[in-house]
Amino acid sequence: MIVAGCDIGSLTAKVVIMTNGKILASPVIKSKSRPEESAKEVMDMALSKAGLCLDAIEYCIGTGYGRGKIPFVNEVISEIACHGKGARFLLPTARTVIDIGGQDCKTMKIDRSGKLIKFITNDKCAAGTGRFLEVMANVLGVRLEDLGALSARARAPVALASTCTVWAQAEVVRNINEGKSIEDIGASVNEAMAKRVAILVNSVGVEKDVCMSGGVAKNIGVVKSLERLLGVKIKKLKLDPQIVGALGAAVFAKEKLEGGAE
Amino acid sequence: MREEISETTTTLFNRYVKKWKDGGGKVVGYTCTYVPEEIIYAAGMLPFRLRGIEATSTSIGDTYYGPVICSFPKCVLQLAGEGKYKFLDGAVICNGCDSMRRLDECWRKASEDYEGILPSWFYYYGVPHKVADYSLKWFVEETKRLIDSLEAHFGVKITDDDLKKAISVYNKGRTLLKRLDGLRIMDEVPISGADALAVIIAGTAIPRDEYNKLLEELLEELEESKERITGKKRLLLGGSVNDDVSLVELIEETDAIVVADTLCFGSRSYVDLIEEDGDPLVAICKRYLTHSFCPRMFGYYKERFRFLKERAEKAKVDGVILQNIRFCDLHGSENGIFERDLEAAGIPCMRMEREYGPLVETGRIKMRIDAFLERIS
Amino acid sequence: MRSVLREYNYNWRLWNIVHNAAKICDGSDKEYREAIRFAPDFNKALDAMISLGEPGVLTLKAIDGYLEDILTAHEKGKKLALITYNFSPAILHAFDVVPMGLEQITGLYTTIWQKGIAELLDYCCEVGFTETSCSGQRVALGPILAGVGTMPDFILYSTAGICDSNANAFAFASAYLDLPSCQMNYPPTLIDERATEYHREDFKYMIAFLEEYTGKKLDVDRLKDICEEIIKQDELINELQELQRLIPNPEPGLYNLLLYSIKIFFSGIKDGTEILEAMLKIARENAAKGIAGNGHERARGLFFYIDHYCTELKYWGWLRDNGISHIGTMMTDFWQADAPYAKGREDEGYIIDTKNLDTMIDSLAAQTSRLPMVKQIRGPYDAPHMWLDDTVGVAKLMNADFLAYMGTMGCRNTWGMVKPAARDLEKLGFPTLILYGDAFDDRVESIDALINRIDEFLTVRRIRK
Repeated sequence: MIVAGCDIGSLTAKVVIMTNGKILASPVIKSKSRPEESAKEVMDMALSKAGLCLDAIEYCIGTGYGRGKIPFVNEVISEIACHGKGARFLLPTARTVIDIGGQDCKTMKIDRSGKLIKFITNDKCAAGTGRFLEVMANVLGVRLEDLGALSARARAPVALASTCTVWAQAEVVRNINEGKSIEDIGASVNEAMAKRVAILVNSVGVEKDVCMSGGVAKNIGVVKSLERLLGVKIKKLKLDPQIVGALGAAVFAKEKLEGGAE
Repeated sequence: MREEISETTTTLFNRYVKKWKDGGGKVVGYTCTYVPEEIIYAAGMLPFRLRGIEATSTSIGDTYYGPVICSFPKCVLQLAGEGKYKFLDGAVICNGCDSMRRLDECWRKASEDYEGILPSWFYYYGVPHKVADYSLKWFVEETKRLIDSLEAHFGVKITDDDLKKAISVYNKGRTLLKRLDGLRIMDEVPISGADALAVIIAGTAIPRDEYNKLLEELLEELEESKERITGKKRLLLGGSVNDDVSLVELIEETDAIVVADTLCFGSRSYVDLIEEDGDPLVAICKRYLTHSFCPRMFGYYKERFRFLKERAEKAKVDGVILQNIRFCDLHGSENGIFERDLEAAGIPCMRMEREYGPLVETGRIKMRIDAFLERIS
Repeated sequence: MRSVLREYNYNWRLWNIVHNAAKICDGSDKEYREAIRFAPDFNKALDAMISLGEPGVLTLKAIDGYLEDILTAHEKGKKLALITYNFSPAILHAFDVVPMGLEQITGLYTTIWQKGIAELLDYCCEVGFTETSCSGQRVALGPILAGVGTMPDFILYSTAGICDSNANAFAFASAYLDLPSCQMNYPPTLIDERATEYHREDFKYMIAFLEEYTGKKLDVDRLKDICEEIIKQDELINELQELQRLIPNPEPGLYNLLLYSIKIFFSGIKDGTEILEAMLKIARENAAKGIAGNGHERARGLFFYIDHYCTELKYWGWLRDNGISHIGTMMTDFWQADAPYAKGREDEGYIIDTKNLDTMIDSLAAQTSRLPMVKQIRGPYDAPHMWLDDTVGVAKLMNADFLAYMGTMGCRNTWGMVKPAARDLEKLGFPTLILYGDAFDDRVESIDALINRIDEFLTVRRIRK
């Protein structure tokens, strides 16, 4: 039984191809301007990696912002449900899933089977999303993937306005001009981000185990701050946290074929 | 939906308003459900509820309003600035909430920069925020002054008989809308939530006598219609102002139907009738002051929760969506407690903050609605 | 809110800090310098207060007592009322009810507590209160909602029709905690007969509420004492504000903060009177010497809405160090009929008449209806007796060189019209700056960025002498 999940997000597009609970391919690409192009390209990549043709996929579920435009899917499911499902697959004890994507941030509570019980999303502005970190990394002149490590090396984190990305950017520039170290500013960026996310998580309530999906889960500074703010350990997922949505979609596809949820 | 009705949801200067104006009729705009339409009707004019549809930007709105203000009045101001409200002969601004009441200053100040956009009669109307004997007394006087000003400006006379007639016509309209509610809560629903909203909105933009006739015809059609919607998730939509049919369409694109609401462009405008005996002015004021369904009436949470819960139960909904326009803290925070108390009562609930008008981001709203439906399925 | 933060009673922590700070002042200067090092979060703000001399020390001690009263209210068998700052606490003392001012406590948290405020603010959002709501209530409300603050017995608020955001916070608290509440509201006009009657009836409604929930009758003798104390305080305030007109202004900028703190913390009680007397003594001395209270006076600024209360009072320090005389805010306009700015507009002011119970109730109703904001932003800002009239009146009287608007992100009411208002003020010849920071939450805009904006404005508009 070969199934696939296809997650077309605003910044990246992901596909997971699975057979009998084993992942055959899970490529990630930058999204194109049109979701259908992204979908085709990332699926082609996945298929060639897995050595399969499209017809071999027995069931495919689409998710993400672009899910309505994916040509080859059998069904679509919201990314909120998919992230919950994917996280549950990787970490059966997961009850709270924090997903920080490029444009939004969501927190989901799931039951033992991975079914969504409660969720909240924050998508009204960039502060509190991956985009915030991207902008700040850019201003600081560090690579996005290096931003997280700055926290550990900070000595005296600076105060940072964090309600609005545009203003926070101005503050970062001012701090740079005042000669504050990149580490101190970077740590504050990560902390500011974590604080905004913590409000959301607390709104639905923390229940163990907690895990994170989405690109920001790779930022160790944000993760550490969040752990401190929430007072829980955030369990690391065994896979690239960016593909959790696509993985969840693939798991849904598998369940579909097997006839109903587990 | 009949074209003449859907036209009113997307076009300010609709065919009815045009006909009314061509016939020499006057049109008076008003900001919210705390302004008695009956008074304007009794003056022989068309009450027209101000809306922000058709706005494609808020550049003018943002010039006068500050950054942290609800986009609804910003869109109204935008349209006013663009001259789209020039068909109004008058406007009543009321202190519904702080964002809305500042439409008074912003519109007046914008008219210093955009010539001719201010109606010749522009009136600021105060409504108390509590129910008490002295607040009612004050409100009756305030409404009497509104009448005096209307009469003086337009050279008309509003008699008690005019008011009584207005009450009876509007009560009739409200009763018909309640009949529509009755159809919506049936197991097999003859009308979608989007169409129902369109019908309700039309009532704020069509002369009431004509509207009542239209509504009666429509109800008969619906009652006889064999087309029924079944098998969908039944939802109640509550929260802050919404006259955007496309929001409900977005919800209903999924496997859901909106069968009830607690909106001010909705049930909050018609569930309470006006007493037809006694002093008509007092009766009107009593009804408008005591229908405490907007959180602008501070301290009436329990009443509002009861109303919401009753409507949800009556309509046998599977879930409740509570939305608010960003910066509407009144609805936004009350939605927070509603959610707590509805969930405790076993009614699944989702809160959603959004922007009004041209800023609506359908993708994000849709994602949440989908997830909510998956949650309650 | 982190679980570790839930382990303390916040009112107790706050009281402890202020209590110890108030004790520091009793030592020698050397002891004080030693001790203040142990208040790392708070030493700058504390130092700013103490450097005011006796008025600052008395204020600290009085706030110490205010917070202790809150903590001990229940063990003393007294009722505790959660109130807004747009409400005069005087009437509560006549019922022996202890006032707990929400924004007052927010102001204390933000002034002296550098760490943890964000989480208090955010706790409200976690339980469903919108994050766009006013920070002025959210800081102090957070611990109460979280069950780690002192729980009030009932809630009184008087801002419906003035500031919806404010009223909404109290309505939310009442609904969330299921506490009885009494709400006062105001018509959009101020001095007509209808408005006067409304003020009176609404005030009586509130008295009836207090009678019901305290089981007590209004103590008329006590009320008379309070009214007389208010008269005394108002006379002192009048003279202090009259002295502020001098060039240079002989009073430190922080005197304005003290002026309205006294009104919202200590109206009608002796603590407040003593602070005012101490302030006046210094102000008179400075005036006689012709020296400025805020360094060498280079510009006179009217902060025509509110001030900035977080980040260790850095805003006030910057004004002082840069010779900017603070000549008032909307918060310092109380509208006693004989106030300097009420000259020629006495009908807009209030007079305390202690003849009998009815006159006292009328007087207090009039006073309450003229509190800062309650008077100015109840109707259109450019209507008679409202914000524009008051701002222009005070700006002229005080010889303002510039005006600045400082508010909070939750202030729908003023953000709804401050742009046109600023435009009107500019047309009338007053350089006017709109600041986009938040008085209680420096995450919106940091204090340094805010100060940069003021500095830049003063430079570009060539305001500094």
